[in-house]
Amino acid sequence: MNENIDVYVNGQKINLYRAMKVKHALIAYDQSLYKAALAGGVRIEDENGFTIGLEGSLADGAKIFTIATG
Amino acid sequence: MRFPPNSKRSLTSSTTGLFFLILLLSLPVILLLSSAALARQAEISLTILHVNDTHGHIIPYQDKSADPGRPVGGAEYLAKMIERERAANPDGTILLSAGDMFQGTPVSNLFHGKPVIEIMNYLHYDAMALGNHEFDWGQDVLQSIISSASFPVVSANVFKRGGRHIPGVKSYVILKRKGVRIAVIGITTPDTYYTSKPGNLTGLTFVHPEKVLPSIIRRVRAQGASIVVALTHDGLDADRELARKVSGIDIIVGGHSHTAIMDPVIESGTVIVQAGSNGIYLGVLNITFDRAKKKILSYTRKNELRLVSPASGAQLDPNVAHIVDKYEAQVKTEFSKVIGTAAADLARASIGESCLGDIVTDAMREASDAQIAFQNGGGIRADIPKGPITLEAVFTTLPFDDDLVTMDLTGEQIMELLEKSVLSDNMLQVSGIQIVYDLSKPEGAKVVSVEVAGKPMEPQATYRVVTNDFLASGGNQFNIFKKGHNISAGPSQRDAIADYIRKNSPINVQARNRIIFRN
Repeated sequence: MNENIDVYVNGQKINLYRAMKVKHALIAYDQSLYKAALAGGVRIEDENGFTIGLEGSLADGAKIFTIATG
Repeated sequence: MRFPPNSKRSLTSSTTGLFFLILLLSLPVILLLSSAALARQAEISLTILHVNDTHGHIIPYQDKSADPGRPVGGAEYLAKMIERERAANPDGTILLSAGDMFQGTPVSNLFHGKPVIEIMNYLHYDAMALGNHEFDWGQDVLQSIISSASFPVVSANVFKRGGRHIPGVKSYVILKRKGVRIAVIGITTPDTYYTSKPGNLTGLTFVHPEKVLPSIIRRVRAQGASIVVALTHDGLDADRELARKVSGIDIIVGGHSHTAIMDPVIESGTVIVQAGSNGIYLGVLNITFDRAKKKILSYTRKNELRLVSPASGAQLDPNVAHIVDKYEAQVKTEFSKVIGTAAADLARASIGESCLGDIVTDAMREASDAQIAFQNGGGIRADIPKGPITLEAVFTTLPFDDDLVTMDLTGEQIMELLEKSVLSDNMLQVSGIQIVYDLSKPEGAKVVSVEVAGKPMEPQATYRVVTNDFLASGGNQFNIFKKGHNISAGPSQRDAIADYIRKNSPINVQARNRIIFRN
């Protein structure tokens, strides 16, 4: 299995180590969004529109989106 | 009036004939009504209650994505909800966990999951799948958890040498409700290789689920299972792929991706559900099953998840509340325990080397057997004063739930890191390496010399480096950490530092000589 995976945050490709989580994708994409998510100002949805937790795992090719909650 | 001699016989014959005619005409209606009644008798309702990825969250907390205004979760509120759902379908309910129940909060971590097991035993779970984080504390602790569980722990795709399962773990269980056999097959993510320290997985093989499931499904069907539930800890994307690749799975109850599937997903005829994470939701999948046709006729299509909340008016289970309170009180005791001593004040610094940075990185190296350790200075949030060091002090100093990540980097990559570090507001703290900077040199050329274990660092050589998962994902723009190889994860950084303090007290302040500035 490849050690790395590609995930997409708001359409932007991000390369991560396999088994990294939603929070790592946010840190790699935009650290300020991760801080905002921790503070509750942003929630994360998958491509089905389901809310996913920051500690949720990511599969290769996963697409996630940040949604402002404020 | 006298009737003709044959008139009585004629009247009787006519009546009988009319009776049979009416009966004949009514027969289809009678048959139809009987058939419908029989069909209704064959239809039963079953309820699958499910949780996943609780990660030790037994106390209500703030999660604004679930409820912006109020705390959510809480094991005593979840317990009451489970009781109510069971009461609505007393003979037809099963309660499942899709794994990752224990590791994640101080109240659970400090006691290796004991409060969660006590609560799960009290609630009479019917089965739990092994999640990847069940391996975080090593196989001995996992064995202790399995032995303490009064419910089956299932995982069909994890094997020890010789093809056996982990002791106490089964591939599946068959539950019986209202005369219907329900097979529950466990699946653990093969990504566990990447989330757990290699030492935690010694002797274990994680097989891809689609390789084991078909034969198990045939076996359970042969044993009379009418409904097949895959209880998986592999993530929604993997669950969808599994449904596409493996036929015969009626329902997937999933976890790992922490997805709050409000309306069940259907993939290749398989119903897929998942209840978010952290005990915030209880999944309630109601199904209507035809015992005669052995077929699921209907299932919950919308709003399958119920929010768990201590909102005003919410009822709680006092027995579970007692378990939570008992362990919360013990946390306070554990936090106040002295785990070591600081021989002098251990202070931080954002620029240059700090005593506390030295200790944190030395601890990281010791926990990982790496040659070099890097820690972002900004991740160390409080000094440790001279004197006794409590566990609470470690939590205050390192409040983030970071894990160690170990990787191979080349000397050239490390040089790039060091050049970036000296320009950063959050200089990297180091261990196993000595750097001399000349600040008068231009950007990108400020590193004058680097030594690893007393020898000059070689640009093309490979070095084993440990950092935390925040930096490993490119935190603070240290993107070089994303280019490593031979990645291994774990243990928790905080656990590594606490262990180091226990083993090396009194903690002496070493002379600062790892990061030297000239000019």
